[in-house]
Amino acid sequence: MKIDFTLNGASVSVEAPASTSLLNVLRDNLGLTGTKQGCGIGECGACSVLLDGRLVNSCLVLAPQVGGREVVTIEGVRGLEGGANDLQQAFIDCGAVQCGYCTPGMVLAGEALLASNPQPSRQQIREAIAGNLCRCTGYQQIVDAIEATARRRRAKVGHD
Amino acid sequence: MVEFQYVRPNNVDGALAWLNEPGVKSRPLAGSTDMAILLRADPHLCDRVVDISLIPELHRIERRDDQVIIGAAATFSEVLENPLVQQTAPLLAQACRQVGAVQIRNMGTLGGNVCNAAACADSLPALVCLDALAHVRAADGERDWSVSELILSPNHTLVPPGGLLVSFRYRIPLPGSRSVFLKLGRRNALAISRLTVAALGRLDEQGRVAEVRIAAGAASPRFNRFKAAEDSLIGRLPTAELYQDAAHRVAEEMIHITGRRWSTEFKEPALEALVCRALALVFETPGSELQEGA
Repeated sequence: MKIDFTLNGASVSVEAPASTSLLNVLRDNLGLTGTKQGCGIGECGACSVLLDGRLVNSCLVLAPQVGGREVVTIEGVRGLEGGANDLQQAFIDCGAVQCGYCTPGMVLAGEALLASNPQPSRQQIREAIAGNLCRCTGYQQIVDAIEATARRRRAKVGHD
Repeated sequence: MVEFQYVRPNNVDGALAWLNEPGVKSRPLAGSTDMAILLRADPHLCDRVVDISLIPELHRIERRDDQVIIGAAATFSEVLENPLVQQTAPLLAQACRQVGAVQIRNMGTLGGNVCNAAACADSLPALVCLDALAHVRAADGERDWSVSELILSPNHTLVPPGGLLVSFRYRIPLPGSRSVFLKLGRRNALAISRLTVAALGRLDEQGRVAEVRIAAGAASPRFNRFKAAEDSLIGRLPTAELYQDAAHRVAEEMIHITGRRWSTEFKEPALEALVCRALALVFETPGSELQEGA
């Protein structure tokens, strides 16, 4: 079936069976491989994307469910010049990226949190990334990166 | 072979029309956290999925007189973030907060959790504790069941084929009521509940138990309040011994329903401990916020 939706701010149209997951549409039909496939059953968070601003597991979304809606993947998160944005740079600076497989989902989980809570506690950050598994870092550096970004964004808002 | 068809009605009438078209095996799709996995395992599970997740009336959370009505397609996130739910039924907000992780809470729905009717479903003990009613619409009419009546066994409910669970409603607990939801899992997030307890209660002016309701999850295939334990508390001054006695009655009733199973060695003491903890939180927590009354 034909599925029209907004992806990273641009209109897209794909042809896929109703049973296709959003994850497979992103990776196979649209070639956006930043969204990773992990467990496939909604437990690891590697395939996290934003659907109408909410963090979801794209492996559990049927492709036609996004028809007429707005999807943001990791490819849609970038700085003004096209490179890493402040959160992505903080991941690098804090050593929050090791193998990198969880990173796209972690960054989107971080962005989803900061959009709704600009001043999260470390506990709230941990809760916000609880659905994203990381087997390398031990999470501390990821929490550090999100916390540092929250602090810098608040400071920036304060100066603007 | 042709795989299933996907349709997205705008309202409940439209959904019922799709669900009841003769000769087409249709299934409703709400949060899709379970259905997506079932459909992947068997793309021929049904001929058509009817996506009810974007029907506005199924997301409504509102107060009507002394009751709160929650649309069945409200997601766990929508329920737990709702101020009306937080004020009138903290235990339901707490239960929804402990489901899966953010991603699952943003997708999974209260109605889906109930219709799936897993013994470990986190929302069920909370809804049973609230004496919530489930409103079901079908092609030939509509009716209410209590949530505990609605659940027959895991994956089996009284919702008829072609019917749709559209909303829940509960009477707002009286002023001075406190409620709590406790969960035991192997880890904090994304944990299937090993055991849950929901409790709600209120003391009278003399400090005696005026009202108490206790329900548990992952304890038995059906969901009922533990009336014998509740009765043992009414009119008494709350003490640790009283909680222990009530907790023992709850565990006895669980074993009466399920028999002694492989997990009973764990569940019996764990359930007793959770019930004691829940009762202490309901009746003793100094300074804990009181629920807003009706």
